[in-house]
Amino acid sequence: MIINHPLLGPRDAAEFYYLGDASLLDRPDWQAPDAADKFYEYQYLRDNAAGEHRELWYHEQGDRSWLIVTRDTLTHDITKVELAHDVALAKQADPANTGREG
Amino acid sequence: MPDMTLKPKTPLNGYSETFGATVLEEIAGMGLVSIATPRGGVDALQGAVQSAYGCALPPTGSSTIGNDGAIRLMGLQPGQVFALFAYDGDTAVTEIEKALGDNGYYTDQSDSWAMLHLSGSAAIDALARICPLDLDASVFPDGTVARTVMEHMGVIVLREGTDGFLLMAARSSAANFLHAVEQSVRNVT
Repeated sequence: MIINHPLLGPRDAAEFYYLGDASLLDRPDWQAPDAADKFYEYQYLRDNAAGEHRELWYHEQGDRSWLIVTRDTLTHDITKVELAHDVALAKQADPANTGREG
Repeated sequence: MPDMTLKPKTPLNGYSETFGATVLEEIAGMGLVSIATPRGGVDALQGAVQSAYGCALPPTGSSTIGNDGAIRLMGLQPGQVFALFAYDGDTAVTEIEKALGDNGYYTDQSDSWAMLHLSGSAAIDALARICPLDLDASVFPDGTVARTVMEHMGVIVLREGTDGFLLMAARSSAANFLHAVEQSVRNVT
């Protein structure tokens, strides 16, 4: 599998480490009244999508960047690769922007 | 106290071998310093590099050479460049500090990496068997730098000229790395 790195171009999947669902970036507010429930969901509940899936990949044997890869779990077709750094900063500037399209 | 002197050894013991028109040799006597950009300090570091070396801070994946040709800066990841220069002492960081002041965070990498230089007609063919990157000159021209894996070992690859490559791997697995590269060269020559 080849991941088209936004800075470095196409790189072999062997250079990457897979973490999981990109929702891990959305850490709940620990001071919220429902924090316990939110953290339970954050920690344990995952969508098991048959289709488009946003996930975190770490370019460990490369430039050490975290990427958000949008991949179709049925075909392994990768439609989008973004720097997690950029997505997180965009979200900080505009909390309504989850990075998801549509 | 016994009267004796310890002599330092290079990671690959001065290895040098020729395979037809292809040469594989250890590079020693180099200083290698990691320069990390302080948060929000990229412009200050850029200015310091420009005035000290007369070259730009390279973006990730490329390298720049100082005006006098004595130092090469390699952009390895956002916020980090490696400086490579001929140096025989044991305090490489002070050389960079003298030039750039406190505009970056420096760590000495000189003794942590084994350096191999591979050049000649079979260099590309040999690397094609162990390196997952496309090293064709059209996409990996002179001065391009990349971190990748070869035979499960992390490697920094720098292209020098048309068929020359500087390969850097961890000193702790230097012998294994040399074996991987040498075997690949043997297989194609």
